[in-house]
Amino acid sequence: MLGDITLGQYYPGNSFIHGLDPRTKIIVTLLSIVAVFLAQSVAAYAILWAMVFFVIAVSRLPFLLVLRSVKPLLFIIVLTLAMHVLIGQGETVLYQWKFIRVTEEGVAMGVKMSMRLMLLLMFSSVLTFTTSPIVLTDGIESLLRPFRRVGVPAHELAMMMTIALRFIPTLLEETDRIIKAQTSRGADFQSGSLLQRAKNMLPILIPLFISAFRRADELAVAMEARCYHGGEGRTRMHQLAYRRGDVAAFGFAVVLLALLALLRWGPLARL
Amino acid sequence: METKNERPFIEITDLTHLYSDAENHEVKALDQVTLSVQPGEFVAIIGTNGSGKSTLARHLNALLLPTEGTVKIRDMDTLDESRLWDIRQDVGMVFQNPDNQIVAAIVEEDVAFGPENIGVPPAEIRERVEKALQAVGMTEYRMRAPHLLSGGQKQRVAIAGTLALGSRCIVFDEPTAMLDPQGRQEIVRTVRTLNREKGITVLYITHNMVEAIHANRVVVMKKGKILFQGTPKEVFSRVDELEALGLEAPLAAKVASELRKTGVPLPEGIITNEELAQALA
Repeated sequence: MLGDITLGQYYPGNSFIHGLDPRTKIIVTLLSIVAVFLAQSVAAYAILWAMVFFVIAVSRLPFLLVLRSVKPLLFIIVLTLAMHVLIGQGETVLYQWKFIRVTEEGVAMGVKMSMRLMLLLMFSSVLTFTTSPIVLTDGIESLLRPFRRVGVPAHELAMMMTIALRFIPTLLEETDRIIKAQTSRGADFQSGSLLQRAKNMLPILIPLFISAFRRADELAVAMEARCYHGGEGRTRMHQLAYRRGDVAAFGFAVVLLALLALLRWGPLARL
Repeated sequence: METKNERPFIEITDLTHLYSDAENHEVKALDQVTLSVQPGEFVAIIGTNGSGKSTLARHLNALLLPTEGTVKIRDMDTLDESRLWDIRQDVGMVFQNPDNQIVAAIVEEDVAFGPENIGVPPAEIRERVEKALQAVGMTEYRMRAPHLLSGGQKQRVAIAGTLALGSRCIVFDEPTAMLDPQGRQEIVRTVRTLNREKGITVLYITHNMVEAIHANRVVVMKKGKILFQGTPKEVFSRVDELEALGLEAPLAAKVASELRKTGVPLPEGIITNEELAQALA
């Protein structure tokens, strides 16, 4: 029933982008997001779209898969577009009917805004499609480590994510079992009002929580027995290492960012 | 094994452990327990629920500390906090629930968890993980997600985790209680191999008598006390006493005992099916 929920959206492969260091991918994604926010002119958007297509091609992900990552926010994208088109500000009125006033500027703004959202989603989903959650966790821990001095619990956050990744499938299995057990005792999760159905979830949630706490307790003891004492003095079997490809990826991001900055403030701003 | 001049690996002297239960009554989980285990020995501890065997296990790597008495691991007192991590490296633990002791989402990462905690250099961790997985026959599953493994396989990963930590002694706390018969066999076989071929000292807590047959020594516990101990043959021949404790002797020992009562002349010390078959033939 719940078995087909996959964790994250990792799409295994061995492309150039799959092989990059997770830290590189996180930083490059962040830089690309900044670049998206710099875009204003048509030329800038054209460059960004070209870059997204280029990145997807290099990652050898199915294009439709990446496009589908836009779906969860489709409603917001359409709403953004509609708002700008229907009640946008501007001089050049294209169409007017009562309070609805479609202006050229409004349409342009709406298209830009919704494209901006789509680009953001697509750039960041390339990161999650090409990086397994486990590797991503390592990357985040490594990037946050310098901020430990100002109180960012880098190791603890990474440990929590690791344990979550480990136990989510186990807890899903358990939920499935509890649902079946309660159904066989005559529990009904399908009918009744929304409130009634929410109430009916209690016989699932209570055993699940009790079991999760018991697991947490046992796991803590097992971790202690295996000499766990926080991040202090801890080493890792897999060490992250930058390679030549990472330099190329950083170069790509810097060029993209520079280009977008030039298009906004520089001599190319007229384009 | 019986070389008495060797220093014992585990030396428990007059160990008493008190704890307060839900109604604040003091409960004596362990009462004046004295036991020593030699390096390379395979000791099985049997007893019913509430006999204190799990509490005893948790004293062996300082998860619990004695209320009275001492527990020494290779001369290191578990009360000495400065030796805590040395003790936990020496004595590994495998618990009952196979799921709740695996930390990482990939088998090899989990085996590496112990050595990572004590700051072993990456290259050596890799080597240790390799060897540990090989020792329990899980090398081909190294990149798997733990939730896709069988119970027996998960327990073998847990064993590999203690080996990678460098444990020379492993305490098993009812490792097969939640496994199917096949998983049980896998674990019993793995434990025997580790004990005989790698010289790992084994403390095996169980209430399944059949799994205790291969031990060098069987210790019977009740209400926090050691009642009697001896070789499996000695212990399992006391069929009636075991039954009075609520423990079931291995089937062959029970059959032999019943036959003896009806006048069939059988020698003492029959505990396995093969021995019974031979004696009857």
